[in-house]
Amino acid sequence: MVAVLAFGVVGLAAGVLRVTFAWPTYIDPAVGSDFSSSASLANLYDTLVYPANDGTPVEHVATSWEVSEDALQWTFHLRDDVYFHDGTKLTAADVKYSMDRLTTIGEGYGFLFAGRVASTEAVDDTTVRFNLDVPFGPFLSTLYRLYIVNKALVEENLVTPGAYGDFGDYGKGFLVDHDAGSGPYVVREFRVEEELVMTKNEDYWLDIDEAAPDEVRFIGTTETATVRTMMARGELDISDQWQTSEALTALDALDGVDIAAFSPGTEFYMMINTKIAPTDDIHFRKAMAYGTDYDTVITHIFPGAFQARGPVPQNIPGADPTVFQYSRDLDKAREELALSQYDPADYEVEVHWIAEVPDEEKVALLFMANMAEIGINVKVVKVPWMSVVEEMGALETSPHIVTVFDSSHYPEAGSLIESRYHSSSAATWEQNEWLLDEGLDARIEAAIRTVDQGERFAAYAALQHEITDLCPTIFLFEQVEKHAYRADAIDWPTAQGEVNPIMGYNVAARFIKIK
Amino acid sequence: MSIVKFLARRLVLSVFVLFGLSILIFTISRVLPGDPVRMALGSRAPEWAVENMRREMHLDEPLYKQYVFWLSGAVRGDLGTSLVTRRAVSEDIREFVPATLELALFAAVIMAVFGIILGAVAGRFRDTWIDNVIRVFSYIGVVTPSFVFAILFVLLFGYLLRIFPTIGRLSPWISRPPTVTGLMTIDSIISGNFVALGDALLHMILPALSLALGPLAQQARIARSTVSDNLGKDYILSAKGFGVPGRVVMFKYLLKPSLIPTVSIMGLDFAGIVANAFLVELIFNWPGFSRYGINAMLNKDLNAVSAVVIVLGMLFVIVNIIVDLVVAWLDPRIRLGAERGK
Amino acid sequence: MAHLFEGDRLGRRWEGFKKAWYKFSRNPVSVIGLVLVLAVSFLAIFAPYVSPHPTHARTYVNFVEASQPPSGSHLFGTDVFGRDVLSRIFFGFRYSLMMGSVVLALVVIPGVVLGLLAGYYRGTWIDTLIMRITDIFLAVPPLILALAVTSVLTPNIFNAMMAVSLMWWPWYTRLVYGLASSLRNEFFVQSAEVIGASRRHILFRELLPNCVSSIFTKMSLDMGWVILIGSALSFVGLGAQPPTPDLGTMVADGAKYLPDQWWISIFPAFAIMVTVLGFNLLGDGFRDLFALEEI
Repeated sequence: MVAVLAFGVVGLAAGVLRVTFAWPTYIDPAVGSDFSSSASLANLYDTLVYPANDGTPVEHVATSWEVSEDALQWTFHLRDDVYFHDGTKLTAADVKYSMDRLTTIGEGYGFLFAGRVASTEAVDDTTVRFNLDVPFGPFLSTLYRLYIVNKALVEENLVTPGAYGDFGDYGKGFLVDHDAGSGPYVVREFRVEEELVMTKNEDYWLDIDEAAPDEVRFIGTTETATVRTMMARGELDISDQWQTSEALTALDALDGVDIAAFSPGTEFYMMINTKIAPTDDIHFRKAMAYGTDYDTVITHIFPGAFQARGPVPQNIPGADPTVFQYSRDLDKAREELALSQYDPADYEVEVHWIAEVPDEEKVALLFMANMAEIGINVKVVKVPWMSVVEEMGALETSPHIVTVFDSSHYPEAGSLIESRYHSSSAATWEQNEWLLDEGLDARIEAAIRTVDQGERFAAYAALQHEITDLCPTIFLFEQVEKHAYRADAIDWPTAQGEVNPIMGYNVAARFIKIK
Repeated sequence: MSIVKFLARRLVLSVFVLFGLSILIFTISRVLPGDPVRMALGSRAPEWAVENMRREMHLDEPLYKQYVFWLSGAVRGDLGTSLVTRRAVSEDIREFVPATLELALFAAVIMAVFGIILGAVAGRFRDTWIDNVIRVFSYIGVVTPSFVFAILFVLLFGYLLRIFPTIGRLSPWISRPPTVTGLMTIDSIISGNFVALGDALLHMILPALSLALGPLAQQARIARSTVSDNLGKDYILSAKGFGVPGRVVMFKYLLKPSLIPTVSIMGLDFAGIVANAFLVELIFNWPGFSRYGINAMLNKDLNAVSAVVIVLGMLFVIVNIIVDLVVAWLDPRIRLGAERGK
Repeated sequence: MAHLFEGDRLGRRWEGFKKAWYKFSRNPVSVIGLVLVLAVSFLAIFAPYVSPHPTHARTYVNFVEASQPPSGSHLFGTDVFGRDVLSRIFFGFRYSLMMGSVVLALVVIPGVVLGLLAGYYRGTWIDTLIMRITDIFLAVPPLILALAVTSVLTPNIFNAMMAVSLMWWPWYTRLVYGLASSLRNEFFVQSAEVIGASRRHILFRELLPNCVSSIFTKMSLDMGWVILIGSALSFVGLGAQPPTPDLGTMVADGAKYLPDQWWISIFPAFAIMVTVLGFNLLGDGFRDLFALEEI
């Protein structure tokens, strides 16, 4: 009973940071790539370079690097004072192992490197070399996602037989709930369906502020009632970003709770399947794009958001501000519809929205009402995230439209352009359009391969125009990510405007101070 | 028929049912469209890993062979890997079943004790204001879905009045007692951590109440009618005529026979509690088996769904058998009949 | 009124009905149940005409009017899409009643027929076969099968109804089996056999009418339970899908907005309770009326 009375007080004194996330979370660096996984990885592991707040890479485990003339060889020199959580020293062999593992397993962020990094060499203990297949301009910033694992520890915990031949399960079983990292925080306990508990790594090779939390808890729930109750009772410091606008208003009203809002370079797309009737007809798609009520979306449903202009959010380097932007024009919509080969009365367009983000239902229903005005029948279906991922894995099961948030994986327009429209992503959750356009693929690859930044950005601009003209997507809005947080309990740099554009790094606990 | 023969017959039937259930679920899950290997490994996995996995999961073999593999694995404790948690389903089960069991047991105790007491009181004081109050309450209890109770409780006690915790099994600042049984209360007692015991009990009250109120009301109604039926029976009148004190009449003569119908319903009610637990677990963020099962179902995590169905089936079977045994023990007619039958 | 009908039989039926009504109406609680059921049914059937905003049950969004508390124009307020909660509740009654009716329709006929057969042929292989199958279905944990089946198929209201039906029918078989097997030894059945009445006649003209009151009572009570289970399935996401105005779905969707926009969740919850209460009271009334003990 005493514990009941000692609520918030005890919680604060221990220097604990509690954040809610949409689950599930995968802390294996070769598996996890969504928001909660990235946030966990950012705390548990180290990378060669670290993203600064303007997106540029800063030395981290690597102290310096060189690029060969043909841009195919990248050599990195490592620090020699980095140790993993179990005391083993971090060497180039670990970096090589991590890259090999990531590209072999291929999940999570593996796609950034698979097919690009031909091989990795550990030249000596503190030098590692990556040999690329093709030149890759933004290679440096993709290294934010190469999390370095402890080779010895993983090898000790392989399970054979497994899917990866000699490598057994490649340590996937072990890394579900253990970490093999060197980062500022260590996994103390991971109750897979509930909560990830991490403690500060006292022997971290960088200095961590005294006021940084000793313990960090990532809690897997976005239930409004839970989040509100916890925050009201001082049991939660930062909320997830999926709370409804009504919930955020209520949270804001609590004492000591503020809303942090920032643009993380995420865009909300209505991805249109371009290979099934009737949405395979460009006029039909354009009709839908002209019929959508963009203003209501950014005024009422996601207040504070900006209407998107093409596939790339404007605050990402390489975005082109001259890209055409659709707006609601019912006459134009009807014109386009008349040009299409299909009679809308014969079809029902299915819109799938993601169950974990309740506000998406509002967008879906609004779209349904908008389309009804121009005579297009829409069916709205609520689907849980994992089922969405599965549906989008094959053309036969992909619906007409899926509403998805997506962000760039490294701070350049090319990242989104590639992960959204290149054929390699057609079977993933990042693309429902199924463009499968070889010509476009080639142009995208050529752009990314361009080493000179000016030329590369020009190529990106051309691609954005081309894609927007195809109208494979309804580009709705650029997200303003909102989190409720306890301003009287923590000092959160992101809330004060120091926003990191790389997903997950705004919850790097070592920079957050407990008051 | 003797107890042993009765038990044996029930067991055989149950095993039969479980087999049938497993075949049904297995077939449905294998027949559905979708590539489980792609789902497990991700859409960008290299082809050779996919092939390896396919061979390992025996997916290229005929259906009946697959079933045999699955069954032999299941018997050994290997129920496959969950798509959502990415680890062995058996591990998931080991972690989540005790949580739901603990909640269900707590709810069952509340339901049994208070249901019978309230019902007996109402029956004893039939047609008085006590009876009427209890009847109204039991009507409300019966018609209100458990999730409505849960929502109201969260609102009232968790948010407005802030007396009880509404999330999870233990407050974050209490250290968990080492896992022996998985039941938080038992484990706390074993390790002597009474602060944790109190905290765990507090966390259980609201979810258990939400689960228990419906069946409790039902139990009360049944207890009421059997008690009031028996009240008029001759043996009660004669006991009273002999001057046996009221309380003894109540407990010794009235309650025991009245217990029989309630206990027999209890088995069904317990299963109902476990099944309804998913609603309550969702609302209270209780890391239990039912919530895991619902998540698995919504996410089409087929290995997990099959395992959940089988485990719940087994639980149901065990509870029913226990209930039948208890009823047999309680009802001297059955007991005597069994002995005479030997 | 009796003279309007031909023959003594109908006249007797009408007298019987009047007597039953008198007995039934003695108990105020049963009458309340009847009133509730009639009210809910009326609202469900005439929803498009009685609702203040019938279009809100389908494709309608109006974010300017969203999340309004109960007021003169919206008695139960509006939800986060701007839809009138009261109208949606009326339409929600439709789905609840539909689910109950469809499930019972699917379940009662086969269940009763099987029970009649098993009871009449008690002791033969027909009895054993039917009752073993019934036992198997009864041994399966009720909700589990429903959940599992709904989950591996697409979650929607149709599949939910199928799943619930699958687990419900054995109860009717058991009930009728008990009744039929005790009735079959009664004089009137045996005399019918002796004079060579067809099996069909015996089953459906002698046995069945004597079971009707029990069946009917059980059906009234079951309506409530089926609606409750249906709302639980919808609540979890395995039944009716949004934007269908199903009561369980409405409670689930509205739960996120507690406690500020409490009306979105609480009114549908009360609607469920009232509906189930109505059928429960009505069923209890029937039970008292027919002086049944078997239910």
